[in-house]
Amino acid sequence: MSNELIALAVPALLLFSAIFILLFGFSSHYTKNRGYFITLATLFITFFISASAMNELHSIKILPQYFNSMIVYDTFSATFITLFLLGGFLTLAIAKSFIDKTNFFTHEAFVLFLFSLFGMVILTMANELLTAFISLEIASMSVYILVGLNRDSLKASEAFFKYLLLGSFAASFYLLGMMLIYAQAKSTNLDVIAEYILTTDLKAQLLIIAGGMLIMITIMFKIAAVPFGAWVLDVYEGASLPITAYMAGVFKIAVFAFALRVFLHDYISFEAIYDPLIIFGALVTMVIGSILAVIQSSIKKMLAASSVVHSGYILIAFASIGGATSNASSAIIFYLFAYFISAIGAFGVLSYISKGSDKLINFDDLDGLGKDRPIIAASLTIFLLSLAGFPSTIGFIGKFYIFTSAIESGYTFLAIFGAITAFISIYYYFKVIVHMYFKESAHLDIHYGYKVSLAFIAISAIIVVWGGIGTSLLLDIPGINALNDLSKFSIESLGL
Amino acid sequence: MSVLSIMIFLPIATALILFIARININTVKIIYMIVTFVVMYLAIGLYMDFDPNASMQLVEFHPWIAEYGIAYHIGVDGVSLGIVMMNAIIMPLVAIALYKQRDKHGYWINLLFVQGGIMGAVLSLDLMLFYLFWEVMLLPIFFMIGLFGYGRNHFITMKFNMYTIFGSLMMLIAILYIAVQYKEQFGTYSFDLYDLKNTTLNTTESLLVFSGFMIAFAIKIPIFPFHTWLSDTYRSAPIGAVIVMSALMAKLGAYAIWRFLFTLLNETSHEVAPYFISIGLFGLIYFGISAMSQIHLKRMFALSSASHLSLIVVGFFIYDVYGLVGSSYLIVSHAVSSAALFLMVGMMYERTKSHYLDVLGGIASVAPRFAVFFAFFALSIVGVPLTGGFVAEVLIVLGAFDYNIGVGFITATTILIAMLFMFKMISQVLYGKVTEATKNFEDLRIHELVALVPLALLVLAMGIFPNYFIKKIEPTAKSYTVEKGMNTHE
Repeated sequence: MSNELIALAVPALLLFSAIFILLFGFSSHYTKNRGYFITLATLFITFFISASAMNELHSIKILPQYFNSMIVYDTFSATFITLFLLGGFLTLAIAKSFIDKTNFFTHEAFVLFLFSLFGMVILTMANELLTAFISLEIASMSVYILVGLNRDSLKASEAFFKYLLLGSFAASFYLLGMMLIYAQAKSTNLDVIAEYILTTDLKAQLLIIAGGMLIMITIMFKIAAVPFGAWVLDVYEGASLPITAYMAGVFKIAVFAFALRVFLHDYISFEAIYDPLIIFGALVTMVIGSILAVIQSSIKKMLAASSVVHSGYILIAFASIGGATSNASSAIIFYLFAYFISAIGAFGVLSYISKGSDKLINFDDLDGLGKDRPIIAASLTIFLLSLAGFPSTIGFIGKFYIFTSAIESGYTFLAIFGAITAFISIYYYFKVIVHMYFKESAHLDIHYGYKVSLAFIAISAIIVVWGGIGTSLLLDIPGINALNDLSKFSIESLGL
Repeated sequence: MSVLSIMIFLPIATALILFIARININTVKIIYMIVTFVVMYLAIGLYMDFDPNASMQLVEFHPWIAEYGIAYHIGVDGVSLGIVMMNAIIMPLVAIALYKQRDKHGYWINLLFVQGGIMGAVLSLDLMLFYLFWEVMLLPIFFMIGLFGYGRNHFITMKFNMYTIFGSLMMLIAILYIAVQYKEQFGTYSFDLYDLKNTTLNTTESLLVFSGFMIAFAIKIPIFPFHTWLSDTYRSAPIGAVIVMSALMAKLGAYAIWRFLFTLLNETSHEVAPYFISIGLFGLIYFGISAMSQIHLKRMFALSSASHLSLIVVGFFIYDVYGLVGSSYLIVSHAVSSAALFLMVGMMYERTKSHYLDVLGGIASVAPRFAVFFAFFALSIVGVPLTGGFVAEVLIVLGAFDYNIGVGFITATTILIAMLFMFKMISQVLYGKVTEATKNFEDLRIHELVALVPLALLVLAMGIFPNYFIKKIEPTAKSYTVEKGMNTHE
């Protein structure tokens, strides 16, 4: 399949499937199971279509005569799209029992799920600020509603309103920033802006710099970086677990992908101006995130707070991009892989064992899990170790790349700071392990639902370990080196 | 795949399979025995074939993370050989002595895992590989203390874990820093020990990198003032974990100073050596005196262990071929004696349910065989003649005198400090009044004897025929000291 066809087929299939479920949902033949499996099948098919475009280096404008080069399909977008589809698939596959046991996953939920994926797919392909804004809002709107899906829960409604209001407010900064950029560069197309920045005196570009900062505010809001991430705890807590997993594991990565494209494509010349801001953001995000994570008593909120810390690590790499030879940008992509699979896994395990109950999972609820459910407990342990950056997991390799690139760019203090943050994270991640393995069993006999979901959890855990030690010496399966090459290709394709 | 790789990965792979398979506990024990005996057999074969005159041998090299020049690079030389042998010999004997007491899968699985981890850390010649094993071997200990420990074990295992990981993370930054400097000077990344040692760092940089490494090693050993996790952890840990920590992991920390710091940052290590000699000597006295005031046996032996490890550190830092050989020798002989002694403490606890000196007493009159072995191992820790510890301590003292007469004098006199608490302990536990707890004390059983006799023979052999063992270490030490321009006494 040609790359152009793939680029059109994936969003088209998602959209078609979404509209189909939307209509099918009113028919008497619709059951929750059918809606679920149609969604899953769509994701499965699109995943394989998209994955076939990952290996080679390519970059094409899609139908320039119709879309006015607003959409670009390169290895970068192919990689991220594949990641989102995999993330969506895993989230739903693991959450099967959750979806069965709850009554709020109506057909609209699946429709919104697909719409949000559609938005993210377009977002990573957007080569133009307005397109990016529209797709970002398509994704955000769908996620807002997904957060408030459970109408019976006060917490969910609160989270929905909080997220909606703050999110819309934050989005307005983006519009303002885009306007400022347009006022100076006379275009919203990233290529044109990049050319303008390169050909004009850097000192005469105040509006572009200011506009970039305003866009940065929106991005910082979406990735929940301090000081714009105040919503994150309440929203992650209020949303039902599969949705939290989806937001933390997939949506955040989509925003990072967009940020990376804009930063590398256009704003790399202003690196000296932005670096102090990003460094400040990274430091504050890591400190506040760590404090929040340490004081939580619910695992869901702890993971939410720790996802803030992970945004901080990625900001370190953003600050280190500067050096021309640096590997920082591919380090970001690798870290996103690592964070993606570990976060999906960790939240997935929670959604798997909570089976739709609304209550928060506290540390005490996991007591004795290691004895009762060894495979789930071992998987969760692996995900947490990876999030904590323990060697032999993919999370360690991710941190290794980020710290190396920080030292390479001369920001050794950021690397040390990151190491100290990682040290603190050991505390709150290992606390879960202590509860799972060392405490006496607290719960009665529980049936944990579908074996298939369990298989997906176990597969994700194996991927996490393989991503940390994988080498062709043992098995001829793509390991660390392959992922590294992939992130390199993605970055290279941005320059094509 | 060389014999070294098999020794690393056979235990780890077995542990993983046993974890997944969930089979009967007796089968687990049998598999544990088979695997550890295979490793021991391989290790003894390795020892026989070991060519003392070739420094690094059985080297295996495979690229791992290509872009960063990280490789699976392992090899063995005279100094690492000692820890490899101890790791291979102690593990099966622990099982023989404890197999009746421990009926939990996790206990044996974790022990297998830690054996592989330690083996990997000792043999690695690539810094990232070393870091991987260094961290991974922590997990089984964390689980063992948490699952099978005593007292406030959840808190203590967490404290131990965080303490050690803090050190490791500082080491990680130091490793990354030196690798980035290497890249700037040579154009490519490498984490190979023999590449990185060519990196030039200025004084401040090398001091900082040195401290990064040293924090990790100092916590693991531990040397003063990083010892605050020590006595609680030993007290709470189950006996298998204590043996691993005191006989193997702590020694690994001392070995890592020699292997990594002295290779990478030779000049800096030389410059700061006087400080570490003083800290080591201070620790030797401080831990000795602290041990004297303990009434809990495991805490006492923990501190006694720390005291001897400080001596090992001194032996390395005096930069002398006698010191190096002596320290390597003490690593081995102390590992054997302390493993045996902790095993016997475990047996004592199993029989009397107590670790406290005032509860124990008069064991010699009830259980003579036990008393003989216990006294023998306690004395071998002190370093009485005819035991391996004596040879090692004499060598270190010789080296210390050569370094500086004052240091030599202090070393020679403070070694005796171990006698004070050991004799006090022996007189109380073995010859004091028979108490309620000890009056039905059962003498050593056959399987316990089977475990202890080889260790006792090894201690004696090391004391009576030291040449047979030292000849494997000495050429490595000599070539190393010649390379670094140290005193070789030629």
